Amino acid sequence: MKNNKKYWKGLAQLENNPDIEKLAHNEFAEKLPLDDFLSDDLSSTNTSRRDFLKFLGFTTAAATLASCEAPIVKSIPYLIKPDEIIPGVANYYATTIYDGRDYASVLVKNREGRPIKIENNKTCTNARVQASVLSLYDSARLKTPLKNGVEAEWLEVDSDIKDRLSKIKDKKIILLTATILSPSIISLLENLSKKYKNVEHIMHDAVPYDGILNANEESFGLRAIPSYYFSKANVIVSFGADFIGNWLNNDYSTDYISGRNPKKGMMSKHYQIETNLSLSGSNADKRIVIKPSEQKVLLSDLYSSLSSGSDPKDNRLSEIVKKLKANKGSSIIVCDSNDKKTQLIVNAINYILGNYDQTMSIAMPSYIRQGNTAKVNNLIEEMGNNEIGALITYKVNPAYNLHNAKDFSNALSKVPLTISTSLYNDETASLMEYVCPDNHNLESWGDAHPSYNTYSLMQPTIAPLFNTRQFEETLLKWLDDSDYNSFLSDFWRKRGVNWEKAVHDGFFNIKDRKSQVTSIAKLNENVLSFEINNINKIELALYEKIGIGDGTQANNPWLQELPDPISRACWDNYITISAVTAKNLNLKNWNVANGALNGSLVNVISDDIVIKKVPVMIQPGQANNTVGLSLGYGRMKSGKAANGIGLNAFPLLNSKFIALENIEGEHEFASTQLHHTMMGRDMVKETSLAEYINNPSSGNHTDTYPTWKGDLKADELTFYDQQDLKTGHFWNLSIDLTSCTGCAECVIACQAENNIPVVGKQEIRNSRDMHWMRIDRYYSSDMTQELASKNDVSTIDMYKEMEEPSENPEVVFQPVMCQHCNNAPCENVCPVAATTHSNEGLNQMTYNRCVGTRYCANNCPYKVRRFNWFQYSDNDKFDFNMNDDYGKMVLNPDVVVRSRGVIEKCSMCIQKIQELKLNAKKEGRPVLDEEAQTVCASSCSTNAIVFGDSNNKESEVYKLKNDERAYDLLDHLNVDPSVFYQTKVRNKS
Amino acid sequence: MQKESKIRDPLILGNKTYHDITRDIARPVEGKANKYWWILFSLAAVLMLWGFACMAYTIGTGIGAWGLNRTVNWAWDITNFVWWIGIGHAGTLISAVLLLFRQKWRMAINRSAEAMTIFGVAQAALFPLIHMGRPWLAYWVFPIPNQFGSLWVNFNSPLLWDVFAISTYFSVSCVFWYIGLIPDFAMLRDRIDKKLSPMKKNLYGLMAFGWSGKAKHWQRFEEVCLVLAGLATPLVFSVHSIVSMDFATSIIPGWHTTIFPPYFVLGALFSGFAMVETLLIIMRKVVNMEAYITIKHIEYMNVIILFTGSLVGVAYITELFMAWYSGVEFEQYAFLNRATGPYWWAYASMMTCNVVIPQLYWIYKIRTSFVATFILSIFVNIGMWFERFVIIVTSLHRDFLPSSWTMFSPTFIDIGIFVGTIGFFFVLFLLYARAFPVIAQAEIKSILKSSGSEYKK
Repeated sequence: MKNNKKYWKGLAQLENNPDIEKLAHNEFAEKLPLDDFLSDDLSSTNTSRRDFLKFLGFTTAAATLASCEAPIVKSIPYLIKPDEIIPGVANYYATTIYDGRDYASVLVKNREGRPIKIENNKTCTNARVQASVLSLYDSARLKTPLKNGVEAEWLEVDSDIKDRLSKIKDKKIILLTATILSPSIISLLENLSKKYKNVEHIMHDAVPYDGILNANEESFGLRAIPSYYFSKANVIVSFGADFIGNWLNNDYSTDYISGRNPKKGMMSKHYQIETNLSLSGSNADKRIVIKPSEQKVLLSDLYSSLSSGSDPKDNRLSEIVKKLKANKGSSIIVCDSNDKKTQLIVNAINYILGNYDQTMSIAMPSYIRQGNTAKVNNLIEEMGNNEIGALITYKVNPAYNLHNAKDFSNALSKVPLTISTSLYNDETASLMEYVCPDNHNLESWGDAHPSYNTYSLMQPTIAPLFNTRQFEETLLKWLDDSDYNSFLSDFWRKRGVNWEKAVHDGFFNIKDRKSQVTSIAKLNENVLSFEINNINKIELALYEKIGIGDGTQANNPWLQELPDPISRACWDNYITISAVTAKNLNLKNWNVANGALNGSLVNVISDDIVIKKVPVMIQPGQANNTVGLSLGYGRMKSGKAANGIGLNAFPLLNSKFIALENIEGEHEFASTQLHHTMMGRDMVKETSLAEYINNPSSGNHTDTYPTWKGDLKADELTFYDQQDLKTGHFWNLSIDLTSCTGCAECVIACQAENNIPVVGKQEIRNSRDMHWMRIDRYYSSDMTQELASKNDVSTIDMYKEMEEPSENPEVVFQPVMCQHCNNAPCENVCPVAATTHSNEGLNQMTYNRCVGTRYCANNCPYKVRRFNWFQYSDNDKFDFNMNDDYGKMVLNPDVVVRSRGVIEKCSMCIQKIQELKLNAKKEGRPVLDEEAQTVCASSCSTNAIVFGDSNNKESEVYKLKNDERAYDLLDHLNVDPSVFYQTKVRNKS
Repeated sequence: MQKESKIRDPLILGNKTYHDITRDIARPVEGKANKYWWILFSLAAVLMLWGFACMAYTIGTGIGAWGLNRTVNWAWDITNFVWWIGIGHAGTLISAVLLLFRQKWRMAINRSAEAMTIFGVAQAALFPLIHMGRPWLAYWVFPIPNQFGSLWVNFNSPLLWDVFAISTYFSVSCVFWYIGLIPDFAMLRDRIDKKLSPMKKNLYGLMAFGWSGKAKHWQRFEEVCLVLAGLATPLVFSVHSIVSMDFATSIIPGWHTTIFPPYFVLGALFSGFAMVETLLIIMRKVVNMEAYITIKHIEYMNVIILFTGSLVGVAYITELFMAWYSGVEFEQYAFLNRATGPYWWAYASMMTCNVVIPQLYWIYKIRTSFVATFILSIFVNIGMWFERFVIIVTSLHRDFLPSSWTMFSPTFIDIGIFVGTIGFFFVLFLLYARAFPVIAQAEIKSILKSSGSEYKK
């Protein structure tokens, strides 16, 4: 059966078809049309091997190429878009900046969740506040809490600290903080002292103001700073107080300048009696140079002559006395002295003059400085005596900025529990056991009460970048509480504040109770008797630089590269010395082959303190036999931008007299201006108030040229066809040289807005600064053309002497950016038409088209064009914020980051103009005058820079353009700039 | 057949026959290079390679490698550019203008002078290229159709005029030079043994364009030369005029001067003749051309140098006068600063080398001395380099606003690139001296019987 069974695969097999047999041997019985299909006979083609290799080569190459990683640009869309964020549209948040030094209520511009720019809100800002947005993105900030210098977890740190704090029984717990402006922190500290025993709060200012605070305490029973109303004063006499620069608050310049408007015919008379040439001294109508030791002598002389009615002994004061007597109740005397007795005299003078409650008020004081050096010194002693159980620091860096920092550091080792809340592992934090890093202001909630009746709020504008926690939150944690946000809102709601509105506005007003001020105690005449020693020694006057201040933000490369408005040097501190003293001491400044400035070195010696290798800079206007030295430098544990830059002058804080020891070697300065006088040219046109009232166009002289048609001005002589600028917009910028104080805030604002790179010290030395706007500073010279022709001085000698500034020069500041010439010399020389003119009066730079011949920069009479000599972004040789993933977050997405080899320059914030035009178009309305702003104009605290459309007859800039004071820089060239200046008016009467 | 007065000095010394001339001129090409050639060539090649390395570094890192700054945006780069371009001008003047004026003495020197022109212009052309911030986009300065939108070059810009001037100059010079070389290449071709060196024979044969010395060939050759001379003559004046407009059309005091075009042309001829002398005095020794490049040639050139040098001096003084006469403060300061400012030494070098020293040529003994001429020609070369440096740097470094005033100091890259172009120039010239007939033998034979010393007896 089994064998009979037969399976067959198909009928063909069953029928024994012969094909089956064939198929068994050869699958394809018929030849496949393979050759037709492949067109060639594969076996017979003689190129097959080559083709094969070609295909192999191609596929290998293709595969290799495909496997190479292309740069991945991550652009992640929102999965769920937050309601308030529209990509490409900025949000503004009102908040407050207070870093223990500078206070400002600000608006923060956020793009796609990142704060990128700080604008003024209620108060005016300064360069450091403007730059603080970059400090937010400082990658040197602490990223986690530290325990014994090792990264730790918040949970662990908190429980350790709470545990150890509660164990402290008999010793003190000290909170060492900067001046606290926040009422909510004060209330938290009260809570803290309820929970833990022996809690004490000590405030410390890096630059102490004990003198004025203690004097007011004695005079008025209130340890506070008076509020000053400079606009109400007809006569301002400042004894060294640089109130336009760094003295106390940054708010005074607005007020000061509003009292100096020649248009109204009212202009205060400002006397500055000082040692170092300060910003206030530069702006003063009359500057008297004194040694610091003379200050008290002159003040007591002034007091005696005002109180007795006699003439002052020192005839330098006679004019001031006369003016003050004529302006009782409308004058201000301020003084930078940190000596209580000196400040008592100042108080007495102001009291005699009836200035209190007129031009200044102690009843409505400012709380901006409250530090107490005596308490700090006492603390160090107690620390040394093992009386302190725990030290918590907040916004202070005593191991760096105490004059006795070494004592502090030594005593610190005797404190069993040390906690820092610094943003950085700085000089102090690195000595401490725990570091609980605070948030940056822009990541924090908070409040501030800087002066009478004024309150402002701080709100986060970005989630914390790092694993940090704001100080208030940390305190709450230690109080077994949490959520500072609700604590804060409850705190203010309880006090009747409309929280939502206050957060929105950034500030609110509560009527403060007027402080109870005891009437001034009669000046103890003992104060007036004193002895002056060491007259022959060199005296020291410390100051803060506009960029660096007390060094809190030293690691901010924008601020390091901000040229000092007076010396124009950056990336350095140095002693300033007068030319006469320098010659006596055989100290020199000289220019090397590429023009850069070099200077001698000295050791600065004060008793047992020696600061080695201090560079010397010759500074016109410096008192003879004195030196100035700026604080805030010489940081060692701040970050790569600040470490090792300059020298720490804080040890000299209490030194009055010093000795200089000449040493070998030379110092290389980075200075952005190497020539200091106007060389008889009239870049800055000047007049006096009296002449101005007489003739508003005085000082504003335009040259004429003889032609066959008669004498014509340069702009009437052109043979070019004039572009039609009457239709549409015509963007103009007016710069008032009377209002410009030279504070350099606009320079930083411009740098932030326009993604301007930082180039470092060496490149500044190579005269390759990149700032789109600079503030030229000129000193007056003893030599003038009139004098030369009168005294028969040869032209060569005249120019030689003109290069030398006067010993106590008059100073002018002139902001210069691209002048947007309407007959632009740069435009017609570019071979590739990369720089062209817009029909709105702007000179436009097309980076993409630029090949970098630099002909435009050569032909620019204002030398405002900047060339990218190197690749400044993503280049390890320029290791600043543009070479840092965090630092790059500050870049403005509306402005392109330029590559190497192209020219760049001021665009008059074209991105802002474009935005406002589009907004107006969308809303179907004309562009409003008040919304048209460049950042230099909007950041200007004194409204010296005004931007607008001069085709709009209602605009402010139109009125300014037709003002008698308006003039074009280098008008004889007839380049017809869109930027114009207003004559400087000084009150010389 | 031309006749020439017997009392005129002969232009060909020694009792040369036509065959002697052929042999003398072919010798450097056919023989082996001597030791001096190799020493010079290696030195030049090393300098050239160093220069190339400096250029590569500049292109790799940025113009910041140079000593320029925000105030002085041009310095050695454009100084070198103008200097090299100026040097070229003597070659064109000798071959074109002197041809039109039928100056027979040009025949011994025109070949090398033209070679100098071409090599000089090649060096000059390097600088506008490498001084760009983004040299890889250099082609944007040409008006070529493109797809970048409606982008076109800016015809107002003198830099664009430069592009046209230099490219025209370079191409016309090359063509002119080459046409003159054809009969000489044919001569070399005919002297080469095909069996010994077939490659060489083919190469020279190719370059000779099938020249066979027919009367028709000669007639056309002379016509073409005349036409090209006519074309090249305006270039002698136009190219440097246009280069000068880079400065003259600007608004910078010290640049903005109407005198610049003639002043630059004269300066160019002045420096060009000096460079021709420098080269030929060496060359006549190294390749034994004493019989053809005689002291008479040198004297003729010295007279031109004396003439142009004096005119350049007049131009300098005119500039000073105009600055004073204009009454413009900025203009006056610019020139005062040139002479007495921090770059006074550059101005003093320029004045000494260009105005004072050439006056020595009034003295017959100096004018007719190879050694003195050689030394003086070096002075002129240096002086003319300083002239351009003075114009460019001293005008820029202190212009309108004193706040921007600064100084310029070269980096080693700046120096390396300049030295490198000198090396490159000599590499090209030395190669030329070994491969090309350095004297136009076909032409010089035409004056043998009128100006040869034997025929003057």
